[in-house]
Amino acid sequence: MPLLKNKIVDSFLIIFFAVCFISAQVSVREYKIKAAFLFNFTHFVEWPANSFSTSQSPLVIGILGPNPFGNHLEELIAGESVEKHPLLIKHFSTTDEVDNCHILFINIKDKKTLLSTIEKLKGKNILTVSDVDQFSKLGGMIRLYTKDDKVNIEINLDATKEEDIVVSSKLLKLSEIVKTNK
Amino acid sequence: MAYKKISIRNKIRRLIMLVSGIVVLMTCFAFFIFEYYSFRESTLQKVSSYGKIISTNSTATLAFESKKDAEEILNALKAEPHIILAAIYDSKGNIFCIYPNNNSFLALPSKPQNSGYYFTNNTLEGFQPIMEDDKRLGTLYLKYDLKTMYSRFQLYGIIVLMILIFAFIISFILSRLLQKGISMPILNLAETAKVVYENKDYSVRATKLSEDEVGYLTDAFNLMLTQIQEQTKTLSEFNQNLEQIVKTRTSELEAANKELESFSYTVSHDLRAPVRSINSYMNIFMEEYGSKVDEEGKRLANTVIKNGAKMGSLIDDLLAFSQLGRKELIMSKISMNDLVLTIWEDLIKMEEGRDIEFNLKPLPEAYAEKSTMRQAWINLLTNALKYSKHREKTIIEVGSEKKDNEIVYYVKDNGAGFDMKYYNKLFGVFQRLHSPEDFEGTGVGLAIVDRVITKHHGKIWAESKVNEGATFYFSLPIVSV
Repeated sequence: MPLLKNKIVDSFLIIFFAVCFISAQVSVREYKIKAAFLFNFTHFVEWPANSFSTSQSPLVIGILGPNPFGNHLEELIAGESVEKHPLLIKHFSTTDEVDNCHILFINIKDKKTLLSTIEKLKGKNILTVSDVDQFSKLGGMIRLYTKDDKVNIEINLDATKEEDIVVSSKLLKLSEIVKTNK
Repeated sequence: MAYKKISIRNKIRRLIMLVSGIVVLMTCFAFFIFEYYSFRESTLQKVSSYGKIISTNSTATLAFESKKDAEEILNALKAEPHIILAAIYDSKGNIFCIYPNNNSFLALPSKPQNSGYYFTNNTLEGFQPIMEDDKRLGTLYLKYDLKTMYSRFQLYGIIVLMILIFAFIISFILSRLLQKGISMPILNLAETAKVVYENKDYSVRATKLSEDEVGYLTDAFNLMLTQIQEQTKTLSEFNQNLEQIVKTRTSELEAANKELESFSYTVSHDLRAPVRSINSYMNIFMEEYGSKVDEEGKRLANTVIKNGAKMGSLIDDLLAFSQLGRKELIMSKISMNDLVLTIWEDLIKMEEGRDIEFNLKPLPEAYAEKSTMRQAWINLLTNALKYSKHREKTIIEVGSEKKDNEIVYYVKDNGAGFDMKYYNKLFGVFQRLHSPEDFEGTGVGLAIVDRVITKHHGKIWAESKVNEGATFYFSLPIVSV
């Protein structure tokens, strides 16, 4: 009997670790895609002219909160540029640090903090991206969500318009358009 | 060779049809070439613009890995049914999306190749990079079916064929109408020429139908006819003149000849009386005074008598000869066989003591004047006997030969013969080929024969070699009574 019990425990352990491993793998693959999306947004989004000090000043991709991408984003943008603007990655731990940024991936799970962050970033012409639930409905611009093993895009068009950010119709065509819940 | 025999009408028709056919064919060919290249060019442009549109529209789908949207974009190609295959490759070169949905991956190139389009046998295919800004996101592959082009060319060929047939019919009808303008004046001219040479009527004139080269030819032809007409007129006038002159001359000659004949008749007739008188008086002289004259006197008197007799026979012959010219021939059917036999029996009586062989072959009847014909036979047979008298044995042959429309009679002897180089003298009056010492004679005999035969519309000729005898031939035309 104790033998059988041990065996069952062993089996559960193996399954547990396997699930952990697989889910970790899935998560890695998911963020790889999200990193690529983040990078690709640079091609389908236009910022107002005043958001670049010179024609060659860098296009900054910021990450607020813990970095879920590992090195993938760095690898992806190495040597790349968008319309002569070299790409640059900046990491921010608090909202107040955020400055001179074009795309900001917000990795904040807490809803209150998230709301205040969105409020604080207004007027800075920053394209806000996140994979947090309800993000775009809370006033964020782009939400990435996984459905049927595929990363989908949700865009709050009112929010982007408010910040003078133009999203390409080609991107809009692939995305779901949502409005801010009031 | 055959082309030479074709009438001008057909030549012109052929020319028109050939030229129009070639022009239509060349034009169609040029259009075909133009169509071929412009179709290729326009197809290439069409396909590459489709490629640009699709690649521009599919950037986002590649960037955000939206296969569903990519499929939607590619499905828009349904509007162009000639695009039979399309695919989108991602930036790594893997197949991202394929059109039509049910198509197998096998038909696709597994990896994208150099961008650009190229023609294959039945398709136009190629790769188009998918770019957003300067970023290459993937590659589009398109395959366009060109069979439609070839079916279009087939239609084109049928149209060309129909145009060609239509052009041929039109040009055939037109050529029938147009060729008349050229061939009618020529045919008209030819018709006139035919009338002229068939009827020998030089008064005909060709009608001038046009003012071109043929018109010029017609004028020249008419001018020529006028000249011929004038020349013919002059010639016939000249001919008539000539005929008149000949008539006058002939009658003058006939008159002169008659005069000459009557002169010679008169002379010989009038000479006969004094010669006879001389001869008879010389004979009386010899009878009465022969004994009183010495030998020399006798000899001289005999010479006078002998020459007188000779002169008498000369005058007789001359009279007979001249009489022949005046005599009208009364023709009748006579038996030559009987005639010759009677004459021979008379002549042979005077040739006693000679060894003579006479071969008379059967002679056909003749239509002739009996007395003159008798004279001719007498002269010929006398000659044959005379010139063979020095032979030990005389052989004389008389025969005949029937030719196409005449009968040839001949008298052949084995006598002295004559030299053929004097032949032209043979039938002349007073012409002799032998000396009077060898053979006596007046030289009128053969002349009389010649005249008799000529008056019978016959011919006379002879063949001989010296010392090998002679053959005299005469021919008489066969007259059917």
